[in-house]
Amino acid sequence: MNDAPQSPPSRLDPEAIPRRDFLGRSALWSTAATLAFAAIGMARLPRAAVVSSPSRKFRVRIPETLPDGEPFLPSGRSVALFRDSQGVWAVSLVCTHLGCIVKAQQRGFECPCHGSRFTSSGVVEKGPAPAPLVWHKVTFEGDECIVDEDARVPAGTKVRA
Amino acid sequence: MTTATPPKPALRRFVENLRDAPRRVRDSALRSGKANTDRTRSTFVFDNVFLHVHPVRTHRWSLRWSSTWGLGIASLAAFGVTLVTGVLLMFYYKPHPSAAYDSIKDIVYVVPTGRFIRNIHRWAANVMVVTVLLHMARVFFTASYRAPREFNWLTGMALLAVTLGLSFTGYLLPWDQLAYWAITIGANIAQSPREVTDALGVTPSFDPGGLQKFLLLGSDVVGEEALIRFYLLHVMILPMALAALLAVHFWRIRKDGGLARPADVDQRVIDDTEATYPVFTQAPRKTYQIAALVRGRTAAVGRAPENTLPSMPHLFYAELAAAMLTVAVCVGLALLSDAPLKELANPAVPENPAKAPWYFLGLQELVSYSAFMGGIGIPAIVMVGLSLIPYLDRETAGTGEWFGGPGGGRVVAQAALVGLGAALAVEIFAIRFGWLREWIPDVAQLWITLFNPGTVLAAIYAAYSVWLVRRYDSTRTGALGLFTCFLCGFVLLTVVGTHFRGPNWHFYWSPADWPAH
Amino acid sequence: MRRNKHLLLWSSLATLALLVTAAAQENVLRPWRRMQHAASVPIDVRLRQVVVPALGAADRCVSCHVGMATGEPTASGDPTLAPHPDVAHDPNTFGCTVCHGGQGRATDADDAHGWVHFWPAPMLPLRNADAGCGSCHTHLAVTHVERLREGQTLVERLDCLACHELDGRGGTTRPRSHVLDGPDLSRVGARGVPQHWYEEHLTQRTTNIDPAWATSFGPISESERATLEEFLASRVGAPKLVAAKSLFHSLGCRGCHRIGGVGGDDGPDLTLVGERDPGRTDFSHVRGEHTLANWFAEHFRAPATIVLGSRMPTLGLSEEEIELLTHYMLSLRRSDLPDAFWPTDRVRAERLGQREFATDGATLYGAFCAACHGTRGQGMRFAGMTPFPAVGSRDFLAIASDDFLRLTIEHGRPGRRMPAWGVMEGGLRPAEISAVIAHLRDLGEGTGCEPDGQPVRWAQGQVELGRTLFAQHCAPCHGKRGQGGEGLALANRALLAAATDTYLFESIRRGRRETTMPAFGASSAVRPTLSDREIESIVTFLRSFEVGP
Repeated sequence: MNDAPQSPPSRLDPEAIPRRDFLGRSALWSTAATLAFAAIGMARLPRAAVVSSPSRKFRVRIPETLPDGEPFLPSGRSVALFRDSQGVWAVSLVCTHLGCIVKAQQRGFECPCHGSRFTSSGVVEKGPAPAPLVWHKVTFEGDECIVDEDARVPAGTKVRA
Repeated sequence: MTTATPPKPALRRFVENLRDAPRRVRDSALRSGKANTDRTRSTFVFDNVFLHVHPVRTHRWSLRWSSTWGLGIASLAAFGVTLVTGVLLMFYYKPHPSAAYDSIKDIVYVVPTGRFIRNIHRWAANVMVVTVLLHMARVFFTASYRAPREFNWLTGMALLAVTLGLSFTGYLLPWDQLAYWAITIGANIAQSPREVTDALGVTPSFDPGGLQKFLLLGSDVVGEEALIRFYLLHVMILPMALAALLAVHFWRIRKDGGLARPADVDQRVIDDTEATYPVFTQAPRKTYQIAALVRGRTAAVGRAPENTLPSMPHLFYAELAAAMLTVAVCVGLALLSDAPLKELANPAVPENPAKAPWYFLGLQELVSYSAFMGGIGIPAIVMVGLSLIPYLDRETAGTGEWFGGPGGGRVVAQAALVGLGAALAVEIFAIRFGWLREWIPDVAQLWITLFNPGTVLAAIYAAYSVWLVRRYDSTRTGALGLFTCFLCGFVLLTVVGTHFRGPNWHFYWSPADWPAH
Repeated sequence: MRRNKHLLLWSSLATLALLVTAAAQENVLRPWRRMQHAASVPIDVRLRQVVVPALGAADRCVSCHVGMATGEPTASGDPTLAPHPDVAHDPNTFGCTVCHGGQGRATDADDAHGWVHFWPAPMLPLRNADAGCGSCHTHLAVTHVERLREGQTLVERLDCLACHELDGRGGTTRPRSHVLDGPDLSRVGARGVPQHWYEEHLTQRTTNIDPAWATSFGPISESERATLEEFLASRVGAPKLVAAKSLFHSLGCRGCHRIGGVGGDDGPDLTLVGERDPGRTDFSHVRGEHTLANWFAEHFRAPATIVLGSRMPTLGLSEEEIELLTHYMLSLRRSDLPDAFWPTDRVRAERLGQREFATDGATLYGAFCAACHGTRGQGMRFAGMTPFPAVGSRDFLAIASDDFLRLTIEHGRPGRRMPAWGVMEGGLRPAEISAVIAHLRDLGEGTGCEPDGQPVRWAQGQVELGRTLFAQHCAPCHGKRGQGGEGLALANRALLAAATDTYLFESIRRGRRETTMPAFGASSAVRPTLSDREIESIVTFLRSFEVGP
């Protein structure tokens, strides 16, 4: 830089790039815009609209004989269903700490991974879990319940047929 | 800058450094600042890991569109597109017969942009095959394979083989009928040396064909094993081989002195004095003792007129433009036409006709007479012949010129006629009158292997080029004729195999005439 | 350089335009998005699907037919939100494609409906929807079409429809009266007809205070009750399929076609004919649309024009019958299913060997014999074929012993069109063959065959005389070497092995009334009467065919 600041223009200097190279600039910017747009499109790909896994909304019939306050565990689902005189509700079995499946105990639930304990309505009693267990949306269709594992409702929401 | 200034408090310095951090990060990444002087333009090139394979200055001859038509860059760009889209497809593709087809269906129907990206992948792969073939033709017709570039011609041949291999292995992955039967045919071509070993009666003890097929498929039929092998080849082994070969290819372009140019190039380039300025008329600041590293004629020190331009930006605009044009073509084709996906592979029901990828249909046309000659014999002869060209043609006349060499364009035109005519004649004859088996039903297979439309065609081409060598007293002319003949024969056979062959490989004027199953 | 800049500018702008077009196509213009936007109730615009891992189904049909998914709003008349009709199976438990066919993974209408040349299982037409039941319920048991018709008539006559709904009819005369609102009987067969329904109805009649009970229900005879119960047992929610299958099993189609290992082998095996890939079916001679349904219909109209060289006769069916048979063909699908999804009818048929058709003589005769021998055993003539014998002829039954009939049915006539029906060949069990024989006797109005006390072989005539007489009287119909023609092939060793001399003798002497075979023992104006001696000689000559020429 300090070599020849004042010397006459060297013949080594390239032909001057015009100060306002509108064509070159627009070409480069449109290339950049195209690549950016393509990148946005490609970034959308890893998030599939749906995957071929079973629906998280399922239909279940609660046995007539289920005693008040006892959990009913539909097989293959991580949800516990309860019934009492006020209605039916569904508590998620996914621990709010790190996603292990809690086990139904004598009363309430216990997480086998880090020892969190929950009451049967999902309130944390002990352990690292930061939040109570989620309550899922239950709707009635005839005498069957439809449980939506993707929809949560405020704790304490019980539904009747 | 005085030393008397009391040191700033440490916290202040920290805050200033923090403020300067973005600028310093930028400066440390781009070492030489704006590329607007000759020096910074040079450092822009050789300070950048991605660009440093380029020369700092590029000859005007090399920048003309007609010198290369940008085919090398187009091939690279198409490869880049397949690489990016291929990696994206790998997010969803599951290489197992029970899941592969469904995963492609998911890509097509529910993955955001999935169908489009699959289409681009498919089209870019086809564009790549075309541009690689055209690139090879360009290098041949401009005689750019000559010393010192012989070895780069060989790496180019290897790149062609890997490109075809990539395309072929990708063909199986969707696991649909199209894929399954094309690969079944391909695998049996690999097994075709058996045609010879069977005829000689040595198959039980010496069976290279069976071994080849087994290595390719991992079992005797196209199944689970074959799918995982093809997947491995397609996403891992062949791309890595291609990348390694590309590195060698590019490195050798640089080391072999850039693109081939005619000896009298400086007299030919239009010397626009306004735009041109000689670089090396003054005492150069940079010494050129290292010029010995570059083979070929040494850099033109002290000579005028100067016909090189700074690579930055002249070469890079050209390269970027060729690349973007290729991308535009791939994307446009992808938007116009969906990649095919037929019904799920069914090993019990062959596709009829089962056709290989289009660039193998010329071979499949020959294979319909003799699997060994069409699938292995003639391709091997062609590959060996092509590889030997730079070592047999030691002439210098016409290097870097289109159709350079004795005879030139006239020989090429004549050879094109001979190549197309001979292929057409042999095809018409074979379609109209059949071949040995139709005339003598119990003829030994070995006779057909030795004497079939493929070998007849090859013999005609060889005889023609020998005649050219003697007529013009030039190996180059013979090579020009032979290459043109084979290229034309390949094109004609490919067209026949693609368009004029229907169920049971019978001849039809158009696919519309095919019997309805 | 300017040229390169221009090229770069324009090619990147072109790429950008293409990418924007693709993005618009994907994010705005996809048909399912437009369907969901057009819904009468606002809904989330997103892909929806029904996944049933056990059946390998990931059906995205509910992306357009949103109202059919669990827990979505419904609105009838809205193409997007129309609910699924009430069917026995919850679409969200079984998926869509298992019944309807089509390509569940696809999200474009034509691809999803399978109306693309490479999708082997296009959707069943809506009018053939219950043919889809055949994927699992191929083994649904049916009875003869006559029995079904009797049941249907009875239901109408007894006015069951006044209180009960059945196949979408009835239950309307006293809408929602709650007193006389009988249960819907459309699917009563699936759960089983209640055992004591009749007694309960009687009790209601006497104890219920509503006077309507007394007027609308009365005693039913035992045989009518049996018919009614049989009919109700076939009400499984697929009336058209039951009617179609019943028709198929009354026209004797199984005489030539095998399904699930039972049937003749003269025609193609039909076990999986409903799964045929239209893309691999020859439509070159079929008029109209290239769908499997139309192929079948056209084929039933004139088999030999669709499949050149087909030996299947033109059956002269009514359009209604053609529609039903087409429907049954489409139902022959039998998907591979995990055991847990097997319906009881399938378990009973494939594991316990129970029949998928009633095994009374009438149904068996209808299923296996009627096509060639006629629904009443009158024999059949089809253009271009030798006539088929009238097995219901009383003259025949009077001399054909049960043993002769049994041997004939079990072993067939090798070299002729009559196939062997034994367990190993045609798949009929001894008890079923007995039922068919009993039914034949019924067709002959109870004609039995009295044993004559003669030994099996007794004819002692002169061979040469027999030869001359044969050439003169028999050869015109039965062929010079007994190879058959208008009459049946007498030089058939299986026939000669099964037939007693008495059978042959009496056949010649008495002939067969109502067929072309005259009674040679009776006097006639057009030809001389043969004496017993001469007939015996012919029988002796016929026996020489057994030894071979």
